[in-house]
Amino acid sequence: MTERIKRLKEYFIIEKEHHKIRKSRSDPYELARKFAASSETDLERAYQRLIYVLDKENPVLFPDERIAFVRTVSTVPEIYTEEEMDDLKAGHWIHELGDVSNINVDYTKLLHTGFAEKRRELLEMAAKHQVENNAEKADYNRIQVSILDHISGLAEKYRELAVLQGNESVAESLSQVPEQAPHTFLEALQMFRILHYSMWCGRNYHNTIGRFDQYMYPYLKRDMDAGLLDEENALELLEEFFLTFNRDSDLYPGIQQGDNGQSIVLGGLNPDGTDSYNLLSELCLKASLELKLIDPKINLRIHKGTPLSTYTLGSGLTKQGLGFPQYSNDDIVIPGLMDLGYSKEDACNYAVAACWEFIIPGRAMDIPNIGALSYIEALEKALHEKLLCSETYEEFLSAVKGNIRELAKSLCESIRGIYIFPAPFLSLMMEGSTEQAKDISLGSIYNNFGFHGTGLSTAVDSIASIKKYIYEEKKYTKKELLEALDRNFENRPEMLNLFRYHSPKMGNNLEFVDEIAADLLQEFSETLKGMKNERGGIFRAGTGTAMYYIWHSKDVDATPDGRLKGEGLAANYSPGLFGRLKGPVSIVRSFSRPDLKKNINGGPLTLELHDTVFRTQESTEKVAILVKSFMDLGGHQLQLNAVNREKMLDAQKNPENYSNLIVRVWGWSGYFIELDKEYQDHIIQRMELME
Amino acid sequence: MKTGTVFEVKEFAVFDGPSVRQTVFLKGCPLRCNWCHNPEGLETQPQLMVSGGCDHCGNCKRVCTHESCIHCGACVGVCPRGLRKIVGKRMTSEELVNLLNVNSEYYTAYGGGVTFTGGEPMMQGEFLKEVLDGLPDIHKAIETSAYTDSSTFKEITGRTDYIMVDIKHFDGKVHKRYTGVDNKMILDNIESLFDGNIPFVVRIPLIPGVNDTRENYENIAKFLSKATALQRVELMPYHKTAGAKYGMIGKAYRPMFDIDRPVLVSQGIFRDYGIRSEVL
Repeated sequence: MTERIKRLKEYFIIEKEHHKIRKSRSDPYELARKFAASSETDLERAYQRLIYVLDKENPVLFPDERIAFVRTVSTVPEIYTEEEMDDLKAGHWIHELGDVSNINVDYTKLLHTGFAEKRRELLEMAAKHQVENNAEKADYNRIQVSILDHISGLAEKYRELAVLQGNESVAESLSQVPEQAPHTFLEALQMFRILHYSMWCGRNYHNTIGRFDQYMYPYLKRDMDAGLLDEENALELLEEFFLTFNRDSDLYPGIQQGDNGQSIVLGGLNPDGTDSYNLLSELCLKASLELKLIDPKINLRIHKGTPLSTYTLGSGLTKQGLGFPQYSNDDIVIPGLMDLGYSKEDACNYAVAACWEFIIPGRAMDIPNIGALSYIEALEKALHEKLLCSETYEEFLSAVKGNIRELAKSLCESIRGIYIFPAPFLSLMMEGSTEQAKDISLGSIYNNFGFHGTGLSTAVDSIASIKKYIYEEKKYTKKELLEALDRNFENRPEMLNLFRYHSPKMGNNLEFVDEIAADLLQEFSETLKGMKNERGGIFRAGTGTAMYYIWHSKDVDATPDGRLKGEGLAANYSPGLFGRLKGPVSIVRSFSRPDLKKNINGGPLTLELHDTVFRTQESTEKVAILVKSFMDLGGHQLQLNAVNREKMLDAQKNPENYSNLIVRVWGWSGYFIELDKEYQDHIIQRMELME
Repeated sequence: MKTGTVFEVKEFAVFDGPSVRQTVFLKGCPLRCNWCHNPEGLETQPQLMVSGGCDHCGNCKRVCTHESCIHCGACVGVCPRGLRKIVGKRMTSEELVNLLNVNSEYYTAYGGGVTFTGGEPMMQGEFLKEVLDGLPDIHKAIETSAYTDSSTFKEITGRTDYIMVDIKHFDGKVHKRYTGVDNKMILDNIESLFDGNIPFVVRIPLIPGVNDTRENYENIAKFLSKATALQRVELMPYHKTAGAKYGMIGKAYRPMFDIDRPVLVSQGIFRDYGIRSEVL
């Protein structure tokens, strides 16, 4: 890292000096009340809000800066009053905040043209619509022109300030972009910054970055070929660029700090089978490794031919404890998406949404997190209604599957009357939206909805216990089991002990258990097959959970995997929280056994390794082998964590959630929760030293 | 067929030999190193191990019918928190081979294999020989104290592809004081590996004030300087958590050295003798 980047990091990230220039928070309903009073259309509201924020912004440049634009406006106002929102919610399906979010726009649609050219196109289209007597469409294009004008206006203010302050680099970039298409790597980064910045100003959120190494590489290559840049100063620019994602992120909407969807996707197979991983992909990994910042979140697309050295670079990044890269397997994801109806070219171009859902840049208004199936709800219902009358295990299993079917169907049916706020600026970067003057909020080429699935491992482990102890060994009667569950295993310590700690678990590489998982997953995806959503799209089944795993575990009775009433479910596609598993090899073998192509909405196997496993370069390379092995076995997506201090502190408070947390101590490994507090403290203390 | 006692089979070991490995812990050890971090591996017999976190529900007491613990395991299955286990499982060599073969292809595919450690794996020499012979196509490594007779040492190591052996102290008297045994047999066995065709590494647990002296390093380095089959020396600095498991098997940890003193790590001495070293 250069001294300049260190200074910028210190300034923006450590000291947060730029927070001082922020305007104080304002009444979020200030605009909404005016809009309500004059009964403005939704498009007008969305447009007015965006230009309101853009106009309220004033340029600020910091010492040493080469990539400008920082937020000073703290509050992005609402476009509807609370009363209006209540009415809207009563009549519509409002997804999260209501704004377009969690899609991946095609930044090249503006990067390649520049604003001036785009304005010309838009005015031509407006004129054409006018001739065709389609005033509404003409207005839509004119609104888009006006948005570009306001962004350009702010950029011009920045340029003037740069000239005034003698910041030649920024002044020069801004004399080119955003009006003209960028020529250099630096100009392209500056232009991207302006586009991304403007998206947040319109309250669009989870604004993903997508396949940055693909659409930005031509600029880098041109500069390098021309001798304007070498790897070293390209890395420096990239690091400054990465810092920009961390400047304003505390102002972005999200469940918690860091949940802002700034995910970037590196590498991936081209339609002709070649690998798109390039020098910029590598530089992105290096920049992230050096900066150690939570944004952008790195996703690495890999496939059979990906060399171990790429995984090793990834493992080096995992070692930092930030929880990325997240890996996705093209050999599974691409055919899976094609099975869902995505064209080969689009499937090969997939990116990753805010968390892990697979989405198509520029061509999809998919909502991949619109709801979630609860596998334990399906289980519970079968336990109460069908266990006693199920003569055979198969009968019981089919009752669970029947419930999955019912739940999945009713989920599909529940999604009616979806309404999303217009996003005229984002629409400029979506295929067809501009040409047809159709806002992206109304749909795109792909309009598919995706569901998560919570409690899979809990349901699978429970069914496995029932198969083994109730139907096969007849260790307990059905009535005994139901009573024990009903009473939360009180007075049945031996039963709790057996079910919780010693029963067959998903993640222990037991074929019969993993086949139950495959069965449930397939029931889910097969049910969705052929169902259409109200936008003409399909429904996609996934293996993620998002926050639903918390919501779906509340108030749920004890389950036959030994989970007590109210206790948690695993996050994402992961083992249950209680059974002591054999280890990571059994986990990757278990979790790669189901055919994951069929449930390809997204949702990673999440593995935790103690960061002492990353102690040497050699051992870090071995972690890369573990990741590669999951993919070799047919895994779809993996997220690996080097477990850090915070996690261990939590493990001290809630040991029951960390039964598989392994710590490497001194030439040996042990289960963290088995160590006496004193020893746990030692390790935590050592982590502090390492950090 | 021989039967042995295994106290753990660990998956995905990254510090136990080339590439990724499964590591088998065999129970029982003739040494009593004062800093031993695996006290549950010392006794040959299975024994009860109780983890922390007890909320005193009393279930274990209710099922117990003995005056003092005979490690019968009756209390294991009634603990609602799963804190109790019998550490050490009797298995035939065939059972262990079958267990290892569940994942052996996985490790082989990535250039790894299986590692036997303990306790002291040589203590179950006959059993171990059968197990090693039962794994013909697998890369096999052993981690040993080398405290065994030369013929056992030869027969076992001859069946492996990679050897990790400890030198805890070069001075026989000090060695005996801290481990309970003399080191002559150990050094002789190690010397027998010098010109062999099996690659080996020497591991030194660095114990503050016990063996982290320049003199000891110098002696070890000089001794090893002639070893052509030696890959490297691995230095493993002592950590206070070594005593973590004593309480769980009803024993007390009584280090005879100052656990708070930082250890002297010196890779330079090994470098001077042309020996690669690494700190683990």
